[in-house]
Amino acid sequence: MSEDFPRWPGIAGTIVCVLGLGVAGYLTFEHYTSSSSLACSDNGAINCLKVTTSSYSSVAGVPVAVLGLVFFVVMLALQVPAMWQRPERWVRVARLVWATAGVGTVVYLLYAELFAIDAICLWCTSVHVLTVVLFGTTVYASLSYPPPEVAVS
Amino acid sequence: MSASSNKPSQRGRGSGPAAKKSAATKKSGAASKRYAERQARKKEAARDARRSRNQRYGLLVIALVVAIIGVLVIVKVAGSGGGSSQASSVSPPAGTPIPQATLTKVASVPLSTLKSASTSGVLTSPQSVNNPSLNAGGKPELLYIGAEYCPYCGAQRWPLYIALSKFGTFSPQPGRIHSAVDDGNVPTFTFYGTNYSSPYLSFVPVEVYTNHVSGNGYVPLQTPTAAQARLWQSVNQGGFPFIDFGGKQVLGAAQYSFQSLSNLSFDAVASQVGNNSTAIGADIDASAAALIKTICGSMSHGQPAAVCSS
Repeated sequence: MSEDFPRWPGIAGTIVCVLGLGVAGYLTFEHYTSSSSLACSDNGAINCLKVTTSSYSSVAGVPVAVLGLVFFVVMLALQVPAMWQRPERWVRVARLVWATAGVGTVVYLLYAELFAIDAICLWCTSVHVLTVVLFGTTVYASLSYPPPEVAVS
Repeated sequence: MSASSNKPSQRGRGSGPAAKKSAATKKSGAASKRYAERQARKKEAARDARRSRNQRYGLLVIALVVAIIGVLVIVKVAGSGGGSSQASSVSPPAGTPIPQATLTKVASVPLSTLKSASTSGVLTSPQSVNNPSLNAGGKPELLYIGAEYCPYCGAQRWPLYIALSKFGTFSPQPGRIHSAVDDGNVPTFTFYGTNYSSPYLSFVPVEVYTNHVSGNGYVPLQTPTAAQARLWQSVNQGGFPFIDFGGKQVLGAAQYSFQSLSNLSFDAVASQVGNNSTAIGADIDASAAALIKTICGSMSHGQPAAVCSS
């Protein structure tokens, strides 16, 4: 059907997406219940409550936690091993664009945490790390291996 | 090509000129095969080169992203990033530091002084509600929603700071701000950037706006969670200030008029706290006494005894 396409990008991507879904889901749950119960330090530089209740915690009225959840849901659909084996160009492009959008958002939110809010949220940071890892594996695998070939009948 | 070149070789087997022709054809076939193999190797080498070039580009992009993140962190750690224009306009520093002596004076006004203050200037007090319990960190939650520009909030923070200081400690302590210059210019504290710890209650402050004008409003600072916003809307229709005492009592307005504090300096107000002979001192002290009574009754179960039973 196709030349050997490594399985690791699909497996790694799926694992990272599932972890990201878990954390983003927790942050979303906390947002809609009470952020004050977040299991996170609230002293000094590490202060989840300060971050998740800041003006940067929503974009156009949509909580950033929900945006994170949507990001990982869509990314999971693009990262499952079966999708990595798909030969269509749009799949690779969509995966790269989505991963780039994710890492761009991470840079913006990190800037906001460090310079505007002046506090770091550990849960958010774990989502940021997962997004950067996802970006790394996606870019590396997409550029290192040729797309799987279309099956010839 | 190879199929047609095989034909003469089969026909001419055994005859002299035909054998020569066959040998030549075989030679040409082998050359073609070698050429094809060379081409295939070249193609493969080109593909490998392209792949390794793409791989380098990929690693470069990843390194670039990591470098950007690293630079942000380094700039922050080096302490040279706090002065960006966006940071200062959207999220002002948590006020100007207040001398410890002033804070100590305000926080340690004796309970007897607070209780003996005239209540003639007190306009409102916390009201009982029948809401679900509000808790945070396993303790009753005192939720405060205000805004730095808001003069009513400016007035309310004085007694709130005094009352909270009887049940726990701020670290870092609140900074000094004033309400919007065009809106009372009330000297006050800000709870933005503070941390409060108490064995009896959790204090959750949300300063929704700064005192920096932006268009027809003010620059946002903190966003209440959806749950906080629902509570705030349902109980106080989104008005400032809003204080919820563990879901048991609420305060939806400043306890006393901010007018007398307008355009005064922070020190001028601080010096009157604990002095019941001035209207400002009496208003703040009596308001603080009412808050302490509310916290003792609704949140701390009468603890600490030194505060609640005096």
